[in-house]
Amino acid sequence: MQRSAMLYIPLLTFLIRYRRTALGPLWLVIGPSLFIAVLGYLYAEIGAAPPEQFIPHLAVGLVTWTLIGEFTNKAPTVYQRGRANIMQGGMPLGDIVLIDAMTTVISFLHQLIIFIPVFLIYSIPLTAYSLVSILGCGLLIVNGILFTRIFGILGSRYRDLSEVIKAIMRIAFLATPIIWIPGGTGRGGVMEAFLNYNPFYHFLELVRAPLLGNPIELTSWLAVLGFTFVGLLSERVITNRYARYVPLWV
Amino acid sequence: MGVITELNPATKRKAAASALLISTEKLTLRVPVIKPHDRKLMANPSRILSDLYLSRNQRSFATLLDGVSFELRAGQRLGLIGHNGAGKSTLLRVLAGIYQPSSGKLIINGTTKGLFDISMGMQQQATGLENIYLRGFQMGLGLSQIRDLIPEVIEFAELGHDIEKPLATYSAGMGLRLAVAISTMIEPDILLLDEWIGAGDAEFAKKVKNRMMGLVEQSRGLVLATHNIDLMKGLCTHGMVLDNGHVQFIGEVEEALAWYAT
Repeated sequence: MQRSAMLYIPLLTFLIRYRRTALGPLWLVIGPSLFIAVLGYLYAEIGAAPPEQFIPHLAVGLVTWTLIGEFTNKAPTVYQRGRANIMQGGMPLGDIVLIDAMTTVISFLHQLIIFIPVFLIYSIPLTAYSLVSILGCGLLIVNGILFTRIFGILGSRYRDLSEVIKAIMRIAFLATPIIWIPGGTGRGGVMEAFLNYNPFYHFLELVRAPLLGNPIELTSWLAVLGFTFVGLLSERVITNRYARYVPLWV
Repeated sequence: MGVITELNPATKRKAAASALLISTEKLTLRVPVIKPHDRKLMANPSRILSDLYLSRNQRSFATLLDGVSFELRAGQRLGLIGHNGAGKSTLLRVLAGIYQPSSGKLIINGTTKGLFDISMGMQQQATGLENIYLRGFQMGLGLSQIRDLIPEVIEFAELGHDIEKPLATYSAGMGLRLAVAISTMIEPDILLLDEWIGAGDAEFAKKVKNRMMGLVEQSRGLVLATHNIDLMKGLCTHGMVLDNGHVQFIGEVEEALAWYAT
């Protein structure tokens, strides 16, 4: 497939999806903004967390979580949604995943607009260390693509998977420090298990901590790199073994 | 539609200089299928509940193609004939690279292009123009190639300014015309056809016929699955009778049809 298709198909999909709305893809920004504003105000009001600490934490967390959630929730149905492209022939499974991932990334880039007012209002300094966040995003996207390739195949065979992942992600949102801040210097106490054994937390930390000027724990690096490695391996195995069945399953 | 009988004799002669296009040897496709455990659904409504929640399914294997061996040389046109479910479309999808055979050998020298379900992949909310782009990318074309093809597609589909409107506003005929125009916009190397494409009113049907004949003439080889005996007689040089995934007969088109008739 031509390289240009990788960009144009997602853009056309966006164009078509938002054609008859007045604000178009701005809705991707409005929803989360409202959430951040209301929750930030509420938490400040009840004295749970000072807004200058909580709101940037929530904003970066929520936007990054949207990226994670889009990848995980869309993964099991990627080939079902791309059925026409598979059955017409000509488009390899890998390209279908990449186009889907591109669509997810484009909506993520849209939501980055939210950071601008948040970072300006609370005057959070961006330093050279903040650039590590881009590396974090990169690793997150690579893992998202691997996850989609693995669970796309499994999900086209076991339709339950889509429901399972949706259910897990709903709980994971609450178990991950997005609408709450771990106590102390960033972690510890009774919350330890929620952090260490939560893969989403480690991915989130790699994106969020550099932006907010917090240090990244070594465990987070190890967990993310470990996940990437395991992802690469299992993607190879599952693709080699089962990818050929996908056209029959969808 | 009882169309297409004549062929340009010049192209039939090309068969003499025969390069091997497709060669298959004992091509087999076995797929796991899941079927409900109990067929007495109507006899016992409580089955619906147990099927829904306990999912008593049986896993078994179905053999869609069984040891299919044939060769297609340049200039040859192979017609596949057989009852519904005989494996004609499945074989075409294997040749198109959609299904991977579970065993056997498949060699394709060139690129196969299948015209299967021509309306598949069209988006109702997108305009005609956007659909041309989407389908074009899907076929592996680049942006500039698609741009070059657009005037021709619009002209062929006779859509004019309607091309700017969403597909959902099209009449059935308009949608079909666009689908035909898009599907046939690039020239195939080896053409795979699942039933002949014929569409629309008499005048448009004639245009489609000419376009399709053009595609067949330009392609180096053709594999056509059809139920239309006249069409096959006029178009194909060879015939293959399929039944239940088995090749029952393969040979010259006249012989194959005669065999099928008995």
